[in-house]
Amino acid sequence: MNTLRARLARWVLAHRQLSYLIFAAITVFFAAGLPRVKLETVFSDLLPTDDPFVQVYQAHPNFGSPLTVMVMIRVKDGDIFNEKTLAKTWQMTRDIDKAPAVDHEQILSITTEKARFAEATPEGIDMRPLMSNHPPANAEEIAEFRHRVDRAPNVRTFLISEDNRSTIVMATFIEAKIEYGEAFEYVESLAAAARDDNHEVFIAGQPTLIGWVYRYEWQMVGIFCVTLALLIGALALYMRNLVGVLTPIITSATAAIWAFGLVGWLNISIEPLLMIVPLLLTARSFSHSVQFTERFYEVFAALGGQVKDRVKAAEITMTVMMAPSVLGILTDVLGIVVVMAAPIPAMVRHAIFCGMWAVWLIPTGCVMISLLLATLPPPKNVQQLTGHGKESGVHRRIQRLLGGIAALSHGKRARLTTVAVVILSTLAIWTSAQIKIGNPVEGTNLLWYDSAFNQSVRAINGSFPGVNTLEIVLEAKDPESPEWTSHTVDSYETMTRLQELMEKGPNPPRATLSFADYLRESNRLFNGGDPRWSMIDPRERAVASAAIGSMMGSSSKNFSHVVDGTLQHSTVSLWYPDNKQETVDAAIAAATAAVAVVGDDHKAFRVRLATGTIALQEAVNRVIERYQWVVIVVLNVFILMMCIAAYKSVVAGIILLIPVNLANEALIAAMHLLGVGLDTNSMIVAAIGVGVGIDYGIYLLSRICEEIQTTTGSDDQRWAAAIDSALRTTGKAILFTASVMVIGIIPWYLMSGLKFVADMGLLLIAIMGINMVLALVVLPLIIWWVRPKFALRPNSLVSEGVDLALFTEGKVTAKI
Amino acid sequence: MRITRYDRGYSRRKFLSDAARGALGTGVLMSLSDAIAANGEISKAYPEELLSIEGYTKGKVKTGDIIDASNVEFVKDLLEPVRYEQILKQGRKLKIGKTTTDIMRLSPWDYIEATVRNAGKAGFDAKGNVVNKADGQPWIGGNPFPEPANGLELFAAQTLNWGRHDASFYAMKLYAVDQSGDVRFRYSGGWCEFSPVARVTMEPKPYWPQNKGKLRFQSVFFLEPQAYRGTSFLNIWDYDHSTFPALYGYVPEFRRIRQFPSDQRFEPLIPGLTLFLSDAWAAGDPLYTWGNYKVVGRGPFLAGLADGWASDHPNWEHKTHGGPKGNTFWDATVELVPEAVIVEAEPVKFPRAPIGKKRVYFDARNQIVIGMVTYDRNGKPYRSFDGAYSVYDQGGKKFMDGKHPYWSWAHVTSSDIQTNSVTRLEQVRTLEGVYQSGANEQKYYDQYLTQAALQRLGAV
Repeated sequence: MNTLRARLARWVLAHRQLSYLIFAAITVFFAAGLPRVKLETVFSDLLPTDDPFVQVYQAHPNFGSPLTVMVMIRVKDGDIFNEKTLAKTWQMTRDIDKAPAVDHEQILSITTEKARFAEATPEGIDMRPLMSNHPPANAEEIAEFRHRVDRAPNVRTFLISEDNRSTIVMATFIEAKIEYGEAFEYVESLAAAARDDNHEVFIAGQPTLIGWVYRYEWQMVGIFCVTLALLIGALALYMRNLVGVLTPIITSATAAIWAFGLVGWLNISIEPLLMIVPLLLTARSFSHSVQFTERFYEVFAALGGQVKDRVKAAEITMTVMMAPSVLGILTDVLGIVVVMAAPIPAMVRHAIFCGMWAVWLIPTGCVMISLLLATLPPPKNVQQLTGHGKESGVHRRIQRLLGGIAALSHGKRARLTTVAVVILSTLAIWTSAQIKIGNPVEGTNLLWYDSAFNQSVRAINGSFPGVNTLEIVLEAKDPESPEWTSHTVDSYETMTRLQELMEKGPNPPRATLSFADYLRESNRLFNGGDPRWSMIDPRERAVASAAIGSMMGSSSKNFSHVVDGTLQHSTVSLWYPDNKQETVDAAIAAATAAVAVVGDDHKAFRVRLATGTIALQEAVNRVIERYQWVVIVVLNVFILMMCIAAYKSVVAGIILLIPVNLANEALIAAMHLLGVGLDTNSMIVAAIGVGVGIDYGIYLLSRICEEIQTTTGSDDQRWAAAIDSALRTTGKAILFTASVMVIGIIPWYLMSGLKFVADMGLLLIAIMGINMVLALVVLPLIIWWVRPKFALRPNSLVSEGVDLALFTEGKVTAKI
Repeated sequence: MRITRYDRGYSRRKFLSDAARGALGTGVLMSLSDAIAANGEISKAYPEELLSIEGYTKGKVKTGDIIDASNVEFVKDLLEPVRYEQILKQGRKLKIGKTTTDIMRLSPWDYIEATVRNAGKAGFDAKGNVVNKADGQPWIGGNPFPEPANGLELFAAQTLNWGRHDASFYAMKLYAVDQSGDVRFRYSGGWCEFSPVARVTMEPKPYWPQNKGKLRFQSVFFLEPQAYRGTSFLNIWDYDHSTFPALYGYVPEFRRIRQFPSDQRFEPLIPGLTLFLSDAWAAGDPLYTWGNYKVVGRGPFLAGLADGWASDHPNWEHKTHGGPKGNTFWDATVELVPEAVIVEAEPVKFPRAPIGKKRVYFDARNQIVIGMVTYDRNGKPYRSFDGAYSVYDQGGKKFMDGKHPYWSWAHVTSSDIQTNSVTRLEQVRTLEGVYQSGANEQKYYDQYLTQAALQRLGAV
């Protein structure tokens, strides 16, 4: 043997110390990058950068109040106009001002000075806080407070619910300073203290969501440990010797160090929400190692099973296993990396991190493992491991089961199986075509429907305009303009007109708000409080003065939800009752029509659609719509090319791709039947499903190729025997691999408080399971009918078979 | 030969032990007031290491040097933590000037003379108001407590007269700089403060009879940006040190005065600024709306006291440096203040204040405010104020206030430390050739301090 693989194996095993040194040096290098590793969820990075809505969001991140926490205090029995509730609200407001990194200028509740009412007095207009310097302490003060509330319409809409049972405390945090976890835990503790028999407290807002995610990401560390323990346990049960357990652990750990170290050096943060993929890789690494180790012991036993034979056995194993291993790993890499096609920054970072992790499985899972096996003492149960010992009952039952499955794919039963497969496939493809894009839940899809956060969102949405906003932005063309664009007649009139159009159009929002509302209110108050002064003269001076009237004596930050910090850009906020897809579609259609009426290009500004939760949900839907199939097609093309290269046959590529694509269709069909739409999760899972699933096909196809070349008899007999034999041997390996991956993933589904992670786990388990079944049934069936010619010619590239004579100068002649 | 008892450690030990005892006898070698009374100089009250930066740093920093990130460690103990951080991390620089020892350059001439003349005559009446002990009437002029015994007396003097003139008009420009170094807002306008009591320069003295019950009239109006032109605020302070001032706002278009909540003093007057009414002169609220005044520290300090006037610019405008875009901080000269007294106070009458406490740095020589740091309710630094005063007599150029060179503030830097935004203020000579900085003019009242005046200003 003088192939490149053989020469590399020979060199590595001949220079074991040097090879170890090289591995050690690389590991030290990457380990030095570990302290720089950052695990963080950057929510904006989960959005597609090329979507116009996302671009509006990124240009105006403050609209939609992403740094605001909303705390709703709800009275179970009665209304908020009682001493206890008002005192609670006062205390919550004071306490939240002590939250870490809160912006002290941006705290709002019915108890703050910002919630004011106005009275016309002989001297002018008297603006006073709704609440005096203490919470109302008796019936008279409560009555006076209530009277004042009735004269403050904005307070009624945004701070006290229509049924008078709820009130909201809002606090905005400083972006550069906020530690989401810390702020979240602080506000949570306030809420816990405020809850009692008659008071519920709900917390929502983006910082709260991030806080929950962070809390659950710590939980993920625990799940990670459980998963590792399970994997190691499964390994120990299967191998039943120390070396067999240690080898995969050492190689997998090394790959992990390299992967984490690389992103540390590249200064790329890791998205914890996608940590399930590295876990999947660890499981893959384990199963690769197990197969490699088993093959090693087979060679080792064939060479004589003496300690001195370890090095030669390792060399031979490395030579024969390298090509199929590399091919299998490369398909994994492709499945992970191909999601980079979608312009979502978190996906790109994930692709670099996990894609390179998969790449590192090549040197560690092929080279390093050979070194370890050549060095570590061989176990005592080699005979059992190589199948020469007594097989346990479980193994026999598995083999019988696999034999039964094999029988479905050849002979007379093949016709029936084919009919069933064709019918089921047609149904699956038809059903999958019905699936909808988007997977909306009220609140966030990151957390479970019953999570405290989603319950809070539903409660707040039920009592107040809520959190589902669509923002239409009036973006100044010259942000440096000395005349503040938001203070102009054109801006005022455009905002007003947009609000009118949306409110009077079909599917109107439940509330609208813009800077124009504050201007009208200011104009009315300064003119004595008569509602007839709610309209402003269309003169620049009149509009600018109304703006000044509303902002004087107040921080501009108090208006940051409607006007940006420079007073140039502004937004029209539209609140919707939910984020169901039909609501989203109707809202965006109405907004598009309204913008067409007012025109998107004005002298000093342009009207941009759109930001807010409604727009961003639509942006995610659109990226999935655009890229879901692009990702799959690109992946198919790459894998086809690789298979053509490996088997020197186009037919081989097509045969291998049919089951994995069918598996994908089946998964989508199942999702549709379960009422789940396509989302980011399903895009990632589909790609990984194809990339990892193709491995099963490669294992099985290679084995069938090897078997067919050793069988005799009629054509039918030969193919039937080859399929039967391949399923009983490699089918077992496939079962093991799939089981290991399910063991690796299942705790994530069962234990994670993050629905996003659990969903991804469930989808991965499902696709791996479907892939396995289709690989064991459909692939042999296709081979049975096609009987490809490439299978009949020797193919040393992907073959795991070895003629030991070639390595031992004829001293050992076994073929294994 | 030096007397070893008066080495640097001696000064430090004395400051520490006095602060620990709450004692407020100023001066290290002798009583500061005795030294000033003797010859108007402070040199005899302090050892050499407190009179020059060379002495303090043992020659590591010299007069004329620039303090920046490379040498700030030598003077770290002379700075409040915020300026230290800004120098270390945000490119702020301070030029070191010579310590002023002539006390007459540290306040308006008439104010100093009245302080000496009226020494010992002030006391608190039953309501806690500062009065002339002889007749129980409002204070008669100058610093009522030139030898303060506690933090309350320091604050009482500061609250009584901010600018140390009977009346002041400051033409000023304001710049709000955000954390990225962009100047987000530019304002110009006038600030007027006017004392109807404790007058030492303007007739009638010491009281303006028809407003003897008032402590101060104060207004601020804006000329730029155009949208804000004519927008103004008027504060009218009662002499009673516990009563909140009335606060009015005026927008020309509406031709109506708007009254604001009198205790709403922790909101910026106009958008973008990091300045609250409460921050004015570190004593923007009535004396007893804050409480628990206590001396919490004493020691040398770096502050701009006599050389802040930008006489080389025809309109007294200052240059800037530092921050991400070179325009976050004023170019400033500071000098070694031999002794600063740090007084802490809490906003006891503001149940909704976002402030937990403030620490104000007073120059022991003349009890003028030279710095302030406010803290949020968690005790974390929130906002910081520093600035520069000046005698307007520099390199042969003079700007006169009566018979003597004008004395006033020159520039102020207000930093919101939590959001890293900075507001810069400077006093300029004139705005639009009409509104000129100056002091002690009776006409200011009619020009700037009545509701009719606000309406007239709005019409320009």
